[in-house]
Amino acid sequence: MKIIENKQIDEKVYTEELENGMKVIIIPKKNTNKKYIIWGTKFGSNDNHFIEPTTNKEIKVPDGVAHYLEHKMFEQENGEDSLYVLMALGLDANAYTTNDHTAYLFACTDNFYKGLDELMDYVQHPYFTDENVEKERGIIGQEIQRYDDEPMWKLYINTVRCLYDKNPITIDTAGTIETISHITKETLYSCYNTFYHPSNMIMCISGDFEVKKIIEEVKKRLLPKKKIDKIKRIYPQYEPDINKKYIEKTMDVNMPQFMIGYRDFMQNESMIKKNIAIKIICNCIIGKCSKTYQELYEKGLIMRELDFDFEFGEHYSHILISGESNKPKEIYEKITLELQNETITEEDFERSRKRLYGELVTEYDDVENIGRMYLSDSIKGIDSMKYIDEVQRITLKDVNKIKEEIFIKEKSVLSIIKNK
Amino acid sequence: MENNKFKTNEIAIFLTLPLKRETITMNALIPSVLRRGSATYKNQIEIGKQLENMYGAFFNCGIDKTGDYCILKFYIETLSDRFLPNGETVSQKSMDMLWDIIFNPLADNNSFNKEYVKQEKENLRKIIESKKDNKELYAFDRCIEEMFKNDSYGIYKNGYIEDLEKINESNLYEYYKQIINDCKIDIILNGIDAKSISINKEIYNKDNTTVLKKSEKKNKKINMVKEKADVIQGKLILGLRAPEKNKYAISLYNAILGGGANSKLFQNVREKASLAYSIGSRYIRRKDVILIITGIELKNYEKALRIIKQQINEMKSGNITNEELEKSRQLIISSLDMLKESQENMISFEFDQKLFKENLTIDKYKEKIEKITLKEVIDIAQKVEIDTIYYLEK
Repeated sequence: MKIIENKQIDEKVYTEELENGMKVIIIPKKNTNKKYIIWGTKFGSNDNHFIEPTTNKEIKVPDGVAHYLEHKMFEQENGEDSLYVLMALGLDANAYTTNDHTAYLFACTDNFYKGLDELMDYVQHPYFTDENVEKERGIIGQEIQRYDDEPMWKLYINTVRCLYDKNPITIDTAGTIETISHITKETLYSCYNTFYHPSNMIMCISGDFEVKKIIEEVKKRLLPKKKIDKIKRIYPQYEPDINKKYIEKTMDVNMPQFMIGYRDFMQNESMIKKNIAIKIICNCIIGKCSKTYQELYEKGLIMRELDFDFEFGEHYSHILISGESNKPKEIYEKITLELQNETITEEDFERSRKRLYGELVTEYDDVENIGRMYLSDSIKGIDSMKYIDEVQRITLKDVNKIKEEIFIKEKSVLSIIKNK
Repeated sequence: MENNKFKTNEIAIFLTLPLKRETITMNALIPSVLRRGSATYKNQIEIGKQLENMYGAFFNCGIDKTGDYCILKFYIETLSDRFLPNGETVSQKSMDMLWDIIFNPLADNNSFNKEYVKQEKENLRKIIESKKDNKELYAFDRCIEEMFKNDSYGIYKNGYIEDLEKINESNLYEYYKQIINDCKIDIILNGIDAKSISINKEIYNKDNTTVLKKSEKKNKKINMVKEKADVIQGKLILGLRAPEKNKYAISLYNAILGGGANSKLFQNVREKASLAYSIGSRYIRRKDVILIITGIELKNYEKALRIIKQQINEMKSGNITNEELEKSRQLIISSLDMLKESQENMISFEFDQKLFKENLTIDKYKEKIEKITLKEVIDIAQKVEIDTIYYLEK
């Protein structure tokens, strides 16, 4: 078992790799009644082309299949739906799908072990029939249409479509009404059998637990399976440049919304360091305390702090900056120019670092945040605790180097949702 | 409230005002002007830098409505002193800062800063104009507006554009002085020992809670409202009237009808008929109404409405199983237990209980829920009536 301790923030993380290849991460928390468990598989909307291990056949699946599978996992052979069983126990149960993983989870104060029984049972026992797969199509169709009415989602998907041409990150996570019409029980079983193997899965648990005991409880509930090699996934070729500079779409909004994107072409640099550096750069140059923000705010061009996000995986890495403004193009010009040319002072750097430290420690306030953070980081092969070390170690010189290589105006894209 | 559970502390200050059409726009403007700068921290950069220096302390403020009150809430969340490097401390500093922003604004000659007021009026105008951008929220607010046409609760909490031109830096300041004098002020600390923090007692000791006035009940006929917007999915909201008494039984009624995946609405509208992805109901306790919220394909309006009405009628005729009752009770009990795990929720619960003079702890509240019988829930079901059906369509 691997143990990582951070004395400063008083947290310990235990990681165990089981014989079947599954990784279990335990973050014990005293003084809390809340317990959280999240079980994820490295299977998301990006994984639409792969080699099926049992048949060795190359398979392409319709867009939205990981999400469809997530919906159908709850259905049980005895006619019960595990989501209702969990909710009836008073557990706050849910599931979600992203571009690189699917996760099943619950939070509770009581009935944890009953919930664990149910969770580990349904995730290991798929039950798909033509009828139950068909029934879900209408429900997911309404989930897709709900997203269609959300400007933020369109804004995001259009931005990544500017940054990449064929990369699967450009796929709608839930698919479209058209693509999901091709999903059958056979598609679901093929994906389940490929990706829901313990070697491809990670479980994170946080709450007042005794580490050895909880790991034994998990092992007891696992079906016997042998460790397998890494699943072979097929991705389109690396795209060495952005796809297009600009995209706009008209929707029924009063205030236009914009998102600026930068591809990260930087190789051989730790993602943790880049992530921290990017947050510091954005905070210093266009964050709430920057003169650029102040100027834009006083002119009435923006109304609130912009959102920054660094999104990355094995085959994509980019920065997204978004907000609302009546003059999105003017904002774009100003921001991209400042990010390229403005220098960061030592004082701004130190202050941003303090803020980031505070935000990282605050994540450890809630077992739910902890579980989600450890799962999504470890899916990407990252140890979450390293962020706290790195934020204390990073120098202004490191930050400047990353700034010069990534924030190049020519390499940026702009997506806008316009009003009528 | 003292505890060592969290890595952070939170301080919240609530100003309670009457909810009135005449003053709502000024109320909405006050937090946004105050947050621009105080006598000590003159602009957003100075406030922002101070927050970042306090290890990313988080400050926010805003406006809300509950019952017949309008609440201005200001809060600050900081790391507990024990997690700060080099033995630094921030809890007193954060209290001082919050206090300064609210009670020591940047002002001279009995006026707020002219530029700040001008810019914040402009921002507020944009917020009001953009209220339709989030279609689901808009439909929800519109249904409430329709239900409370003759009651202050129908007021849009961010105010009205036509009021803005009359507001300037001096009359807003005058109004601010007046409310600071008259309003009820509550301070709730979590994670910090109140004795270790010094506050300005002179302001704090006032308590001039306005008396709740009773709202009139609406007409018997169902109010049907359809509105058009450029939507792909139709947003359907039903507003129901619930009795004033036995709010714990109404909570259970609401949970059985539309709280979570085991509810009648989720089971029948989503699972059996595949008509919706999200469907549920929400009980607005302080105004005795329940709202049913869903998004459906445009062509399914009649069908969805029929199934929803069926569920309400099922409950009226007493078709509620013991299993449904117990599952819903469990849902409420668990969410009450979960409240204790979030500082923000604990503070809101405490404030609400004090404001409406119920003064229950979370555990006492749980006991009340435990005691509700099936008969009481059916009794409620027979009194619940549909008041408004609001539909946002293409």
